[in-house]
Amino acid sequence: MSVLMAATAAILFALGTYLLLQRKLSRIIIGIGLLGHGANVLFVNAGRRGRAPLIGSADPDTFADPMPQALVLTAIVISFGVTALLLALAYRSWVLTEDDEVADDVEDRSVAKEGFADSELEDEAALVADLESSTEDDEPAPIQREVGEGVAP
Amino acid sequence: MRLLLPLPVLLPLGAAALSILVGRSRRWQRIISITTLTTVVGLAVAILVETDRDGIVATQAGGWPAPLGISLVADRFSAIMLVIAALMMLAVVVFAIGQPGAERNHVGFQSVYLVLAAGVNASFLTGDMFNLFVAIEMMLTASYVLITLGGRLDQVRSGMTYVVISLVASVLFLAALAFTYTATGTMNMAVLSSAIADLPEGLQGGLAGLFLVVFGIKAGLFPLYFWLPDSYPTAPSPVTAIFAGLLTKVGVYAIIRTQTLLFPGVLPTWLVMAVAGATMVVGVFGAIAQDDVKRILSFHIVSQIGYMIMGFGVATVTGLAGAIFYMVHHIVVKTALFLSGGLIEHAGGSSRLSKLGDMVRSAPAIAVVFLIPALSLAGMPPFSGFVAKLALLDAAAGVGQWAIFGAAVLTSLLTLFSMSKIGVGVFWSPATEAAEHAVAAPDAARSRLGAPAMMYVPTALLATAALAIGVFAGPLLDLSERAATDLVHVEPYVAAVLGDDAPATTSAPEGGGR
Amino acid sequence: MTILLALHAVLGLAAIAAGDRLGRRALWLGALGPIAAVGWLLGVLPGVLDDRPVDEVVRWVPALDLDLQLRLDGFAALMVVLVSGIGVLVFVYAGRYLSPTGPGVARLVGLLTLFSGSMFGLVVADNLIALYGFWELTSITSFLLIGNGHRDARARAAALQALLVTGAGGLAMLGGFIVLGQAAGTYRLSALLADPPEAGAAVTTALVLILLGAFTKSAQYPFNAWLPGAMVAPTPVSAYLHSATMVKAGVYLIARLAPAFAEVGLWRPLVVTVGVVTMLGGGLRALRQTDLKLLLAMGTVSQLGLMVAVFGWGTPTAITAGCVLLLGHAFFKAGAFMVVGALDHQHGTRDLRALPRPTRGWGPVAATAVVSAASMAGVPLVMGFIGKEAALAAIAESAGGGAVVALIGITLGSALTAGYSARFAFGALGRLARPDAAAECAASSLGPPALALALPGALLAAASVVLGVLPALEDRLIGAAATALDRAVEPVHLALWHGFELPLLLSAIALLGGAALHRGRRTVDPVLALGHTPASSAGLYGLALRGLNATADRVTGIAQPGSLPIYLGVIATTAAVIPGGMLLTGASWPGWPDLVETPVHVPVAALVLGAALAASVVRRRFTAALYLGLVGYAMAGLFVVQGAPDLALTQVAIETLTTVLFVLVLRRLPDRFEHRTPPWRRAIRLSVAGAVGATVFFLALATGAEDPPTPTSDAMVERAYPDGEGRNVVNVVLVDFRGFDTLGEITVLTAGAIGTVALARAGRRPHRGDGEPLVPEAEHPVPAVPLSRIATLDISVKVVFTAVMVGSLYLLFAGHNQPGGGFAGGIVAGAAIALRYVSGGIDEVRRLSRSQPWTVLGSGVLIAATTALVPLLLGGAVLESGSVTLHPPLLGDVKLTSALAFDVGVYLVVVGLALMVFESFGDDPPPRSDPITTAKGES
Repeated sequence: MSVLMAATAAILFALGTYLLLQRKLSRIIIGIGLLGHGANVLFVNAGRRGRAPLIGSADPDTFADPMPQALVLTAIVISFGVTALLLALAYRSWVLTEDDEVADDVEDRSVAKEGFADSELEDEAALVADLESSTEDDEPAPIQREVGEGVAP
Repeated sequence: MRLLLPLPVLLPLGAAALSILVGRSRRWQRIISITTLTTVVGLAVAILVETDRDGIVATQAGGWPAPLGISLVADRFSAIMLVIAALMMLAVVVFAIGQPGAERNHVGFQSVYLVLAAGVNASFLTGDMFNLFVAIEMMLTASYVLITLGGRLDQVRSGMTYVVISLVASVLFLAALAFTYTATGTMNMAVLSSAIADLPEGLQGGLAGLFLVVFGIKAGLFPLYFWLPDSYPTAPSPVTAIFAGLLTKVGVYAIIRTQTLLFPGVLPTWLVMAVAGATMVVGVFGAIAQDDVKRILSFHIVSQIGYMIMGFGVATVTGLAGAIFYMVHHIVVKTALFLSGGLIEHAGGSSRLSKLGDMVRSAPAIAVVFLIPALSLAGMPPFSGFVAKLALLDAAAGVGQWAIFGAAVLTSLLTLFSMSKIGVGVFWSPATEAAEHAVAAPDAARSRLGAPAMMYVPTALLATAALAIGVFAGPLLDLSERAATDLVHVEPYVAAVLGDDAPATTSAPEGGGR
Repeated sequence: MTILLALHAVLGLAAIAAGDRLGRRALWLGALGPIAAVGWLLGVLPGVLDDRPVDEVVRWVPALDLDLQLRLDGFAALMVVLVSGIGVLVFVYAGRYLSPTGPGVARLVGLLTLFSGSMFGLVVADNLIALYGFWELTSITSFLLIGNGHRDARARAAALQALLVTGAGGLAMLGGFIVLGQAAGTYRLSALLADPPEAGAAVTTALVLILLGAFTKSAQYPFNAWLPGAMVAPTPVSAYLHSATMVKAGVYLIARLAPAFAEVGLWRPLVVTVGVVTMLGGGLRALRQTDLKLLLAMGTVSQLGLMVAVFGWGTPTAITAGCVLLLGHAFFKAGAFMVVGALDHQHGTRDLRALPRPTRGWGPVAATAVVSAASMAGVPLVMGFIGKEAALAAIAESAGGGAVVALIGITLGSALTAGYSARFAFGALGRLARPDAAAECAASSLGPPALALALPGALLAAASVVLGVLPALEDRLIGAAATALDRAVEPVHLALWHGFELPLLLSAIALLGGAALHRGRRTVDPVLALGHTPASSAGLYGLALRGLNATADRVTGIAQPGSLPIYLGVIATTAAVIPGGMLLTGASWPGWPDLVETPVHVPVAALVLGAALAASVVRRRFTAALYLGLVGYAMAGLFVVQGAPDLALTQVAIETLTTVLFVLVLRRLPDRFEHRTPPWRRAIRLSVAGAVGATVFFLALATGAEDPPTPTSDAMVERAYPDGEGRNVVNVVLVDFRGFDTLGEITVLTAGAIGTVALARAGRRPHRGDGEPLVPEAEHPVPAVPLSRIATLDISVKVVFTAVMVGSLYLLFAGHNQPGGGFAGGIVAGAAIALRYVSGGIDEVRRLSRSQPWTVLGSGVLIAATTALVPLLLGGAVLESGSVTLHPPLLGDVKLTSALAFDVGVYLVVVGLALMVFESFGDDPPPRSDPITTAKGES
């Protein structure tokens, strides 16, 4: 693999990453597209270069390595299918919000901000209050039957 | 038997196609799905029995001699995964049919679900790196569809996160494959296992690291797990259940498979252990901070993945055996938990602790099917989780990995805490209006089971399975140890794929084959 | 023993399952468990007393040395007497105490039985891990029992606290067990004690961890707070779990290990200190309680401290003394609890300020109260005295400063004990009540208790007296127990009178001190009040709980910020750092390869990069999309250069389709990206991007330097035509060599298509009960023909379309030998459809296919899958290709390969996909605010 090709792939990856780190889904999709191209550049440079591997068109020894080609073809088609889906998501997002911005996760934010109330803490407070011992001079506890479940009245 | 190997992939595919063709006939779709998945269970069991008796089974797609075509390989590890996955697939599809919502909501559900099944099985069976990529793509694409079923706003938001991150992982995967091919000129794992060993050390490390990251994203390792707790909870319960049970585990499977077969001993132990520890602790803290049952459980997935990686990091036979056993236990228990979470949501009208309550009265049956897997997840004896955790702790202590040992013990305490939070919040603490109302709602089934039988029975069966794993932990762990031995000694694998002229000479066998 | 365990489990679960239908009968069901255990014990007791332990093993997980090894030796027998013997009494008592029909009775009883079983297992377990198992089972059952009254916040909190504290200790203990087991090479308790591992850092750590478990379970300071809290449970539960049995588990463990490890490391100082501190602290708090039950709870804490200290001392005589204490405490404390229960049950209060004096019929209860208190205080002629004497004597006989401190501590503790024992007795007898409150209480009282409430306690009290007067009766049991713990124990001879010795003196001091404390309680009370607050560790637990939740929130707030850009940033960085780092650590620089392989690369690369750069900087969505398309076409150029025409073909077609798709979607979205990113954020982005790029670059160079042989590909070229019957090697690879990939790939397309439509269609119209179809039926009103359309254009488009379609079919059929194939063909067809769309909109497209798009899709997959399956049925390998040559007229020979059928499947899938895509995005936007956007989803 020549330096040029390596650099091409690298730059494609860099640009793709740069686009990924943004909030607009359409940008992100473009970024992913670039990343995909980068991967393909790597792949088509994986095997030996040469003529199109068509039997009879030339001497087999001058053929390009067919396997990476097949793999790339598969990869291209797969990424197409998924890109379609992702576009559908963008579309849906527009239907719902009139934008394709990837919003932050609400629950995560609320955890980060104040967190959720933890009921066991309130319970625990009740228990501690109950255990505070009193002296003989205080009023005696009011008469009440034990409230434990399944206890006879 | 070799002929049977492709069927766990092909049958669901064909069924998916049929399911698309029968289009609007919901009844036929269900019949197709259930029969297919039942058959797959049978096949998987057959394959497991075979591999455990006669060792690794391999076949070549297209009948071309390896490494010309694509090899399908089943060793004990993949066979075990296959069986568990098939069982979960079946249980969850029944639940989905029983539940108002998810499946009834979309004619695409059954077909896509079958595609998911095909993808999962394929990733367990394939012996070819690129085909692994394709298999995982099948699985993921199906999951993209399932997770956005309904197209609600929160689903779209989390769906974006999920799809985008998975796509990035896929592109990285592709790059990793390109690098691998450039360096070795093959995609066949068996050949790679020897070809990679010849590469310079640094390059091996680079590739191993890249693959770790790629599969780490799918498995939900720290610090790559973010997408998981955000996206899973928004999907319909059965979908979340199957994702929780299987998808991340495919990632773990891929990590263990590739690292043991292609890069044995390349990754530094400290790195793996650090990742494992961080994953455990951060995950469980996340769980404690949440208020929504599904989110709590989702964070627990992350935390539990840490245990599996810990077992992998120990890298001894006992460690790997522990990891495998843990995966089996985790898949069953996690699916059961999410299904019972679905039941709770169904009976309680919400999945938030702050809204639910007093369900031990209103739905005691659900309390039971939650309690068992919950205790098991928390590693309480005598349930499966206890044995699994013990196996890992034992292995870690055996090699003196005290740091991770401590982290694991601490994590299981926090897990217990978080599980008791769910238990107290959902079943004990006083019910709020939301819950009261939901319970009051007229529902014939609710009176006894708390949910339709089609939803309850699969959940109960999984809970029973969780119990069984605990009871029969002995033989299961032995099986896992045999599987782990396969992983540590790669020669039989290579031999099974390339014929007995192993170690792999990369030259393609002349003639023959067809 | 296994059978007994199983029996308990079955009975317990049965009782729970039977639910309230069973009512009080559940008690008799549940009681069968302990009764059976007692019966069995009596059967085997003689043998055990003659030092012939009963052993049993059930294999569970041999691989982990985790088997159900059970062993009933003397000490276990002593514990079983407590667990099952007192268990039976508690069941009888509960039979009266619990309402016959109250809700949850069955559950309570079932849990009691389960607990009884777990506790039985705990004391007979001879395998550390199994012991841990039962240990946690008791924690869980205790959790469920305390929380059974779950509507009461205090019950929930107490249950949780008990679970977490004991659970935490339990896990530490498990850790300790594993370390100890690793050191000793076995988890079998008897074996491990017979030949303990030599002391060392590992063993010391293990012991500390194990002691943590024991301390939490036995409510030792500073883990004591959960026990008083647990008193919210019904009194039978408290009497059984939280005084007689479960809380003794820690003591039990210490007793087991002490003989072997008392001399090791921190053991003795640590255990004895904790024990004595607990004894004092508990005693002090007990002195201030007005709630008799809480008083007893604090007293239990204190007594447990004493037992821990004595057993922890670990000398043979101390061990013996410990056994006596254990038995004595179980008797008087359970009895005392039953008294409180009876009072509470009849009077409706257990506050010593309100309890009236006993009237006729209260005799047995009053007697029980007095005897239990006396035994607790260590008054001669009652059992407690014997134990305390023995304990003091045991410690007194060993020299050293430690012994002196311990003696002083224990004596003080005993004084406190005597003090609160008096308080209990007088309180129970209504001597401390205020007349008014007492009168009021007496008025509302239910009168004297039934026999079942009084008898069990009375029996225990009687036993205390008998054994107190004739201690020799318990010689054999105690002897056997002590010997089982420590071979060095001499035959035990308990006696009431030891002559005037130090212990007697100390006992006297303790009793007098106690009496003084009670007399002058009003004067000492303020003093105690000072020391009270720090003595409570409830605050500690609350602190931990809050801290834990806060930490969790903070950690999660940081680790899970919920923002996709951050996620991707971290992921990208990781993807750059880890592989990059690994590469750098071990890599040897391969040296630069040639700068450019072929001049043609330069313009192509320039075009690719230029377009990519443009795509990433432009501000308009449209332009960006178009530039991305340009990158794609440039890539096609690169493919040509690399000798990959099929790739180029596919790339062009797909790029076209993608661009159209983009346009279809983007036309909805605002045209511009508005930019408000602060520079620092852009800087971060750039650096992350740079890191990724660098890693890719160097990995590319490093791998590129390898240049391995590619025998596989050579073999493919070699065999493509002879065996694969195709001249176009790439196509043969796709449909034959690697057909399995292709199969998966079209599946991806299918799923993608379904999802795309689903999303685009979601909420198009209100949901019907049966959900919404994949693609809308033909119910669409065919709209008026767009004005823009002109007949001639229309016709010409049709012509072109037909031509292109023919072309696509050609590609499909020729694909096996020339560039082309299923994908190329299908996608070209897709482009053709796009053409029709552009000219006539979605309805034009709809007119194309009479059959629904998804039928095309489905049949495509089906064909492909079938061609893959058929060979299997013919006994070949999956996807194995074959061929038939037909001789139709005119056409000459036509060779049909199964690969072709496969390719047709692919073709159909792609066409179907194209159709569905236009279905989804092709028509006009849906109305806003349709139900599904607002309605929270179905699941």
